Amino acid sequence: MCAGLAIERRNVPDHLIEKYRLQDRITSRGGAGEQEVHFLFRAKVPLLPVWHERNLDIYIWGNRDDRFSRLPKTGWCRMESIAEGKWEGLRPVQVEIPCSYGLEKGVWFQVVEGLKGILVRDEKARPHVYILTQPASHYYNVMTRHDRMPVFLGRGY
Amino acid sequence: MATSIIGHLDADCFYVSCERVRFPGLKGKPVGVLGNQGACIIAKSYELKAKGVKTGWPIWDAHKLCPEAIYVKRDFYWYEELSRQLVETVRQASPTVEYYSVDELFFDAGPLLKSRGREGISDLQKEILKETGIPVSIGISLSKLLAKLASDSAKPFGIDVAVTEDEIQALLKGKPVGDVTGIARQRRKTLNSRGIFTCDQFVKADRRLIRKLITKNGEDIWWELRGVSVLPIATSRPPHKVVARGGSVGAATADRLRIEAWIIRNIERLTDALEHHGYVCDKLGLMLGYKDGTGSYGTAVLLGPTAYFEHLAPIARELFETGYKTGKKVHYMHLIAERIQFKKDAQTSIFQKEPEKSLTGTANFVNRHTGRFSVRSAATLPLTDIYRDDANEYDICDIYGKTCF
Ligand SMILES: [Mg+2]
Repeated sequence: MCAGLAIERRNVPDHLIEKYRLQDRITSRGGAGEQEVHFLFRAKVPLLPVWHERNLDIYIWGNRDDRFSRLPKTGWCRMESIAEGKWEGLRPVQVEIPCSYGLEKGVWFQVVEGLKGILVRDEKARPHVYILTQPASHYYNVMTRHDRMPVFLGRGY
Repeated sequence: MATSIIGHLDADCFYVSCERVRFPGLKGKPVGVLGNQGACIIAKSYELKAKGVKTGWPIWDAHKLCPEAIYVKRDFYWYEELSRQLVETVRQASPTVEYYSVDELFFDAGPLLKSRGREGISDLQKEILKETGIPVSIGISLSKLLAKLASDSAKPFGIDVAVTEDEIQALLKGKPVGDVTGIARQRRKTLNSRGIFTCDQFVKADRRLIRKLITKNGEDIWWELRGVSVLPIATSRPPHKVVARGGSVGAATADRLRIEAWIIRNIERLTDALEHHGYVCDKLGLMLGYKDGTGSYGTAVLLGPTAYFEHLAPIARELFETGYKTGKKVHYMHLIAERIQFKKDAQTSIFQKEPEKSLTGTANFVNRHTGRFSVRSAATLPLTDIYRDDANEYDICDIYGKTCF
């Protein structure tokens, strides 16, 4: 599923850090390692970095607290439900979610290129992004003990 | 040139380092590489190790000690690619390289250490980092097992040169015997039961006791840790085209017995050299230089690749019979083993019988225990005057390690 993700600090432009007040989300894993910006679903305001129309921007992650009545109350979109046409009314657009690491059941795993997501708009036309998911591979399932995994850009698990 | 100084190079947390080459963001972070199933940690960064996580652990046990760790899926193709780059880089500095495992290799460090000293080793380490992006630790000593202990103690990204007696003592002191390659759990227990816990205790123990406790192979370990190289660097491509032994015969002589004695003497040295490198040859040459400035040279193709004294000595005698210009005073000679290959790679010939009980093997065995060349072919008896002369320089190139003690 993916409960959070991390992106290297140097990959997030300063103006986005300022604009979306991401300072609190900058963290390190200790030691000499580079700092990262963490985007967690459990954050006060869940956000995701998104490549949309050739721009990196920060959008709201799904609809966790059901404050946007038009949108599904979740942060993830099952590939199967797209195929079944369940999201059709929302006119989802596919987007890319850049990140270096994903978080699942407390386990941080490497993400080589990024994740796939869909962008939909709420009643005020504000963009919201959901992470696309698929049935977990055996590898991913053993690694994270989760039966769903995100849809990876490039090499996955 | 014989190998007397052996280097052991060990990549620091190799799989993790490989991942950091293409994903620099992983540098400085706790990283675990997961095995084929995704369950177990097959390699870890020093940051993860510092949290107490061990290789082989399931991810869930590691998670308790280090929840911030990042896990990466193994990619053996990539690791092999970098591994080959690593070997090539070392080959530039030393052509004699044994590709021991994906992240470890042995190399002949003698020439580099002699010409450039410790700085040469340090430059090699920097060059590898520059060329491959992989940090390595290097141990330099008189045998493979000592070099391996040295590189171990130098980790991470260190260099340990242990070539003097004091340096070797310091390396062995207090080190558990179980740290030595080849001393696994059962052997360690056996040694422990006899009060041998550390490497320094091990090398001080009686050789026969070690042999009795942990067999001939254990005795090899004993010699190696004493700085006597008995395990040759096994390169897959022999670095030598030929191996030759010979030189001046002292006062020029036309005495056939004496010349023959020199030939046999040099065959002994030649077989010793071949054995040291793990080589066999299937062509032998004899070159005789005469006092009057002329010479003769003859070769014979053998029935198959060999390094046995029993095979080479009769051929050398034949070469002498057919090539020697009667009456001429011999001034110097060379016995030349040609068409060298590694014994382990050599096809054994159906024409050439393996000696029933190899004289070479027996002589080498005794010599190992009593000093090199103390057992010789009887044909060398006319040369006793030469052997008694300690200052005789002929054996310089026979000294591969600390062989006489
Ligand atoms: Mg290693």
